Amino acid sequence: MGGIDQFIHFTGFANMTWGHLIMLAVGLFFIFLAIKKNYEPLLLVPIGFGILLGNIPFMENVGLQIGIYEDGSVLNYLYFGVLKGIYPPLIFLGIGAMTDFSALISNPKLMLLGAAAQVGIFLTFLVALALGFTVDQSAAIGIIGGADGPTAIFLSSKLAPELLGAIAIAAYSYMALVPVIQPPIIKLLTSEEERKIKMKPPRAVTKLEKMLFPIVGLLLTTFISPGALPLLGMLFFGNLLKESGVTKRLADTASKPLIDIVTILLGLTVGASTQATTFLTSESILIFVLGAVSFMIATAGGVLFAKFMNLFLKEGDKLNPMIGAAGVSAVPDSARVVHSMGLKEDPSNYLLMHAMAPNVSGVIGSAVAAGILMGFLLKVL
Amino acid sequence: MFDQFSFSNIVENDGILITVVGYVIVFAALLFLYVFIANFQKILLFQQRKKLKDKGHRAADVDDLSISGETSAAIAMALYMEFEEAHDLESTVLTIKRVQRPYSPWSSKLYGLREYPKR
Repeated sequence: MGGIDQFIHFTGFANMTWGHLIMLAVGLFFIFLAIKKNYEPLLLVPIGFGILLGNIPFMENVGLQIGIYEDGSVLNYLYFGVLKGIYPPLIFLGIGAMTDFSALISNPKLMLLGAAAQVGIFLTFLVALALGFTVDQSAAIGIIGGADGPTAIFLSSKLAPELLGAIAIAAYSYMALVPVIQPPIIKLLTSEEERKIKMKPPRAVTKLEKMLFPIVGLLLTTFISPGALPLLGMLFFGNLLKESGVTKRLADTASKPLIDIVTILLGLTVGASTQATTFLTSESILIFVLGAVSFMIATAGGVLFAKFMNLFLKEGDKLNPMIGAAGVSAVPDSARVVHSMGLKEDPSNYLLMHAMAPNVSGVIGSAVAAGILMGFLLKVL
Repeated sequence: MFDQFSFSNIVENDGILITVVGYVIVFAALLFLYVFIANFQKILLFQQRKKLKDKGHRAADVDDLSISGETSAAIAMALYMEFEEAHDLESTVLTIKRVQRPYSPWSSKLYGLREYPKR
């Protein structure tokens, strides 16, 4: 009888709490969004399933080695890559090998939109500070406004590992919800006339420019912000593999199998890190709210800066201010949102290539911002 | 913890300083990159113009030497049509190539059929 009694105590039913049920519902909702609504399925399916994995109730701290926070469990080993910031640079390697910087090189002034959109990071940092978070936690929360999951995970693993689960989930959720969050803000800040502005087609970029860009980009940005080296180093390395033309096999591996493997591991473990017993706190809810605020400020910052730049640009060179919203990164979703909004206003206005420029610039900008925050706040041993 | 919104926490932790300096540095990093790329384009154009002048091309005096992506795509399409697609002469040499279809039980369609096709 003792054995049966122990078995019953070990089942999920005996250990279930309301928190587990809520998180299981959240996991199912993520999977629903991914499959039914097609919102970032490559991210939301692993994360959603990870949430299910992390919230199957079990008896904790009795040496079962099951949970993600229990030493020696398989999930704990896989989570090591998140905790130590190993997965984000590998994701950046793949992103670099996939990214075509031509649009940015052909119209480099669009780089400033990627910088402008980072305002979300810094303003949310201030709000989080005022709300009573520590300075390290505030920086990690602010980076959600960079709309860059790997960067958010990288910075929070260094500055506020205790908030990593909430920050990662918030960052990826808002990246998936770009088509819902951004359009109303863009519409609010732009007139119909502005949304119809047609931009000059980008010029053809030479191979030499494409090859030099990752090298110069690495040197310029990482000398200013060495903290961003793991992210930007891998991003530009991946891009050089692609653009050099002599390492096609390596570029293919980085941009396909490697990034797929790391995405699976990252998504699943980040999802599983939302174990109800450690995740469901008032802090997590506040982080979600602040993340949304950060994302909205970043979108508004990009759009408003594009309008500001238009004040100095002559007719014919003017920017469609909607592309400023793509400065938040969230590659390539925010660029796609801008493109489809442009098409709705004028079916002959193709903004995708133009929006990709601030989009990839935003990736660089948010990584630089993360490096700067690390430079300010990381405790020197 | 979050009962009241307090600016003193911002001041005590140098929040304003970090925000202003941080944002300025992000801008500076990307501005440097912008300046470099913009000027590098000019250097490339200068070199291109010099090469054209040395060869005596009239295009050296054209204001805008850059080619838009649309023009490049049109040129690429024209070249493709010229070399690969459009042709007036067909090859008159006909050959019969032996195509090997080695049998393997793994690829045999018959093993995958429940019913044989009716003739």
